[in-house]
Amino acid sequence: MYKVIAIIFLFLIQANLFAQSDTLCKSMLMGKIIDEHDKSSLEFANIYIVELQKGGVSDSKGFYKIENICDGSYTVKISHVGCTTIETKIIVKGKTNKTFYPEHHAEILKDVEVIAKKPIEQTTQTKNDVSDEKLNQSKGQSLGDALKNIVGVNSLNTGNSISKPIIHGMHSNRILILNNGIRQEGQQWGVEHAPEIDPFIANKLSVIKGANSVRYGSDAIAGVVIVESKPLRDSAGIGGEINLVGMTNGKAGTTSVYLDGNFNRLKAFSWRVQGTLKQNGTVSAPNYILVNTGLKEYNFSYTLGWIKQKYGAEIFYSQFNTTLGIFGASHIGNLTDLQKAFDSPVPLETGAFTYKIGRPYQHIEHELVKFKAYFLTGEIGKLSIIYARQYNLRYEYDKHKPLNNSLEALNRPELQFELTTHTADIIWEHNRIRNVSGSIGISGMTQGNTYEGRTLIPNFRNNNGGIFWIERWKKNKFEIEGGIRYDYKRVQIYKYQYVGNATYELITPVHVFENATGNIGAIYKKDSTLNLSINFGSAWRAPSVNELYSYGLHHGAAALEYGDNTLISERTYNAIFTVHFIPSKKINIEISPYIHYIQDFIYRQPAPSPLLTIHGAFPAFYYKQTDATLKGIDFYSNYKINRSFEFTGKASILRAWNKKENDWLIMMPSDRYETELTYRFKTYKKINSSYLSASFLYVTKQSRVPQNSDFVAPPSSYYLINLHASFSIKIKNQNLEFGVSVFNVSNKSYRDYLDRFRYFTDAMGRNITFRVKVPFNMGFKSKSISNNN
Amino acid sequence: MKEKTIKLLFATLAVATIWTSCKKDKDLVTVPQPVINESEVITTLKLTFVDSSNTSNIKYATFRDPDGDGGLGYDIFDTIKLEPNKTWLTTIILLNETVSPADTISNEVLEEGVDHLFCFSPTGTSATVTKTDLDANALPIGLQSKWRTTSTGLGTMQVELRHQPGVKDGSCTPGNTDIDVVFQTKIQ
Repeated sequence: MYKVIAIIFLFLIQANLFAQSDTLCKSMLMGKIIDEHDKSSLEFANIYIVELQKGGVSDSKGFYKIENICDGSYTVKISHVGCTTIETKIIVKGKTNKTFYPEHHAEILKDVEVIAKKPIEQTTQTKNDVSDEKLNQSKGQSLGDALKNIVGVNSLNTGNSISKPIIHGMHSNRILILNNGIRQEGQQWGVEHAPEIDPFIANKLSVIKGANSVRYGSDAIAGVVIVESKPLRDSAGIGGEINLVGMTNGKAGTTSVYLDGNFNRLKAFSWRVQGTLKQNGTVSAPNYILVNTGLKEYNFSYTLGWIKQKYGAEIFYSQFNTTLGIFGASHIGNLTDLQKAFDSPVPLETGAFTYKIGRPYQHIEHELVKFKAYFLTGEIGKLSIIYARQYNLRYEYDKHKPLNNSLEALNRPELQFELTTHTADIIWEHNRIRNVSGSIGISGMTQGNTYEGRTLIPNFRNNNGGIFWIERWKKNKFEIEGGIRYDYKRVQIYKYQYVGNATYELITPVHVFENATGNIGAIYKKDSTLNLSINFGSAWRAPSVNELYSYGLHHGAAALEYGDNTLISERTYNAIFTVHFIPSKKINIEISPYIHYIQDFIYRQPAPSPLLTIHGAFPAFYYKQTDATLKGIDFYSNYKINRSFEFTGKASILRAWNKKENDWLIMMPSDRYETELTYRFKTYKKINSSYLSASFLYVTKQSRVPQNSDFVAPPSSYYLINLHASFSIKIKNQNLEFGVSVFNVSNKSYRDYLDRFRYFTDAMGRNITFRVKVPFNMGFKSKSISNNN
Repeated sequence: MKEKTIKLLFATLAVATIWTSCKKDKDLVTVPQPVINESEVITTLKLTFVDSSNTSNIKYATFRDPDGDGGLGYDIFDTIKLEPNKTWLTTIILLNETVSPADTISNEVLEEGVDHLFCFSPTGTSATVTKTDLDANALPIGLQSKWRTTSTGLGTMQVELRHQPGVKDGSCTPGNTDIDVVFQTKIQ
């Protein structure tokens, strides 16, 4: 291990010593790419010189060759399916021979996270990343907004500040979010409850589409969102990054900073601290201001790692705190108020710009602490133990202050939830033995929910246990992966039930759910131009507590919701087929048709007539079960027209059918088409990675909705134009990055079907964002390196 | 730094993380807050009509939803029955009957009269309503009113409480709805 560090350091030092030589550009980089484990040659590994945007692919014997390059120092990225991409500095002088060991790096140099994620990296399931470029463009926006860059992923919004990811038409409890390897546990059941994660924690965002219960436990019916932090620093020194984002709409400002370090006298120990501050005032639609849409957020996290070759440990701690105003005109008294709000051409409340947040508003806190330890079990495998505790607090303040003055003075939230979750996992992964690698593990969870204020969700205690086994066989062009899992879940409810005469009785029903689940998938890599994968999965989800026990008025939603405590688990069977076609270096096409067949799909069925309360009439909804099919296609294509121009086309199409009612399913995304044209500038002196891009998004009207199930008809189709520009300046080996994005360039008034505020207002108007990224790095000269020198 | 020192430091930090991270761990799951909490619920709207010509002639009409919104539906929903050609002195009482003894919410409405307004909309009945009480800004509230009945007939009377913080101008348009009950009304 030290040798590898030493080699990389050597390059780094040399990179500083050698000036760029002006010889003819006839040099060559060549060598071999080798799997460290079994020393086998890696076929189809990609090697890419970042500065030159030039690369090559290794052949069946692992050899690669990149010709006609200038002498100099370059950043090289080596990637291969199943390995984490490694990035390293090299010197090219004449005919340069370099051998790389991608998996070796993944195991030892990167942090422990990488190893735990290996089963995901190698999955036969469809996994898509948000590109670095798109991740940068969405800085300052929410996690949901960033994820929308992946084809097939939408977001369910409540105005501009609350955004939940939707995968293949499913959201909330049907999606699992992995935050730094831990299942995010929050008040996920609510449509106006966004994931409690600081988007700046993510160095990489990816989505696995399809049922994924085997590895992560129940609930991941639709897919998994993976939020990964940057690996801990593995070279001595102190570095970091400052991100500044400003937005015109809402006069928003975001600052995010991280610092990381590693001491040369103590290579094993690495650390990072990170924090984000964010604030915006009232945002505007094209024609009016959206009252009370301000937001304040402060987040921080730290990571400590102790990484040795044969064992390691990591502590991760993060805190997320936000206070966000809820658009005032959206809180309504009854059905008549809702009709009035909808009929009005402008919202019934307007006002001036302010940073002040008034009622109604939410205050949310989420805290995560994670401990992880791993050690190698001889030559064959690795054992990891992970424990995490999460605490989620939610305060919701109604628009209506309490009538009683003394109560009003206390300013207590009308709704309050606290959810505390402890999880523990033990996983043993074994290295490839005769082409088979795999993992086996057990996981346990205990979760308690308490409420104060108005009853919406009762108190409950949720205990889960699961055991899984995944194996993967890989030989030549074929890979097959299969897994099985068993889960046991017990939910104990503590609820006061009205029995008449102003008396309530405590009831404590118990619900037990147990299920076995499995999946199997295969990949066939014909050659470098064609890659086919297919995955059959099954997953299940126990009904959530709100689906079982809702019994009242949901103020934000202006609806009476009635749960059903006889609901049973949903079970999905899905198939996803992905064709990845790369006929030349210029063309890249991915087509992914899918089908989810969900037995006992839980949904809200509207009652035929509204129910009468003292506040007037309210529509009532009952949680019901049906069998549903969700089928569609995700399409991605990229065409590099020439050195400068690049064209991207994306489409996602979904059809969701309620089989028992013989009708469409409500609240499903309509079809989306997006095209983008990018112009990349050549590197000019110190200015690099410059581009200009224009994207055009077209969202069709959702015409496939059940009749008489919504307050108003779905909004019309719309299109949006977004522009992006960015460039970097190299100063002392660091790339200072500047970017400007204009969202909704034409300042178009539109409403999206999946925005809950579409009943009351148009969506946000034009927004210009400015971004600056300042990385810095102070390397320590390492003693060990000097010795080797 | 010695490796041992760092190991110790690491362990200390680990312990410190557990120690400091526990943001108010409320594990009182098994002891839920009883429903008898301090959040406000209006369960009952009670109208009392006193005949101005004969104060012993009193009529009542009530709407009651004993467990508040949702859950079980209403259990009392009277028809307003008044005699014709009379003036009725009408008082509104609002109760929270989820607690025992019941909480009189109409007192709070009176206290915050500047933010509240009752509106009465008859359909097909002869009753005309005049509000007789005033808030601090000399705008009517409607907890007290006079109902003048003339001819006999059958219709409805909508009783609304509008919550109008900062926007009360005497009209029913601004604000949102706190109460909205449509009573069947019989003048006979």
